[in-house]
Amino acid sequence: MQATVFHALGEPSRLRIVELLRSRPFAVSEIAETLDIRQPQVSKHLKVLAESGLVRVEPRARQRIYHLEAEPFDEIARWAESFEHLWATRLDSLGDFLRPDETKEQPS
Amino acid sequence: MIQNPLRRRKDLHFQRSYPASLDAVWSAWTDADQLRQWWGPEKTTIDECEVDLRVGGRLRVVTVATEEMGKYAGTRWPMEGTFTHVEAPRHLAYDARSWTEGEEESATIHHTNDLTLTGDGTSTTVTLHVAITEIGPKAKMAAFGMKWGYKAQLDALEQLLGGA
Repeated sequence: MQATVFHALGEPSRLRIVELLRSRPFAVSEIAETLDIRQPQVSKHLKVLAESGLVRVEPRARQRIYHLEAEPFDEIARWAESFEHLWATRLDSLGDFLRPDETKEQPS
Repeated sequence: MIQNPLRRRKDLHFQRSYPASLDAVWSAWTDADQLRQWWGPEKTTIDECEVDLRVGGRLRVVTVATEEMGKYAGTRWPMEGTFTHVEAPRHLAYDARSWTEGEEESATIHHTNDLTLTGDGTSTTVTLHVAITEIGPKAKMAAFGMKWGYKAQLDALEQLLGGA
């Protein structure tokens, strides 16, 4: 899951598509026009994004409308948060290290 | 909800107080022998620790997963940085990169670190600001970050359950 998400977002055009879709759902042709990417390319990129769960398609009349899916982004957010936990445990370790009986410094 | 991860930058702020003098906290952060004693999380060792304490000087710490880390055993996570501000014993800043060895291309996080110490002689407050400015695109990174995240959460849970 993670692997495909990062792979999907790692391509500049796909990242632009995702950024565009943050504002609202778009049809394939609108994406092509707005970002000035040829429509077959857009379709290819959307396929990769859909396979990684980042977007979902909704057929509407003759159009295919693409939406962002929140779940993978939540997962990325949780992943980024984990750095916070790393630092929190590291600062705890610093506290243990600095405990007066374990340092050369006398507390007073 | 979906805005956050797409921002290129993530800011982390921490503040802790310790019952130690400014100088003790400063040397814990800047003396390589002391730094290696607390820097790595549990189940890791510090394989290399170099501190060239001057503006433009290099900081390098390599954390290695021990056997206890199971499938991560032997994995090396280097962190390499350059000091941008050194003002003993109150202010330290460095720009750095962290990565999983062997996957530097895809698995590098760039971060800036800004440390301020304030104290009254017996107690020192550490204020740390970490800004993650760039995150490598590959999934191994995710494994790297999540590993710590889960670990810390499990530790917290263990403390909660066993702490009474």
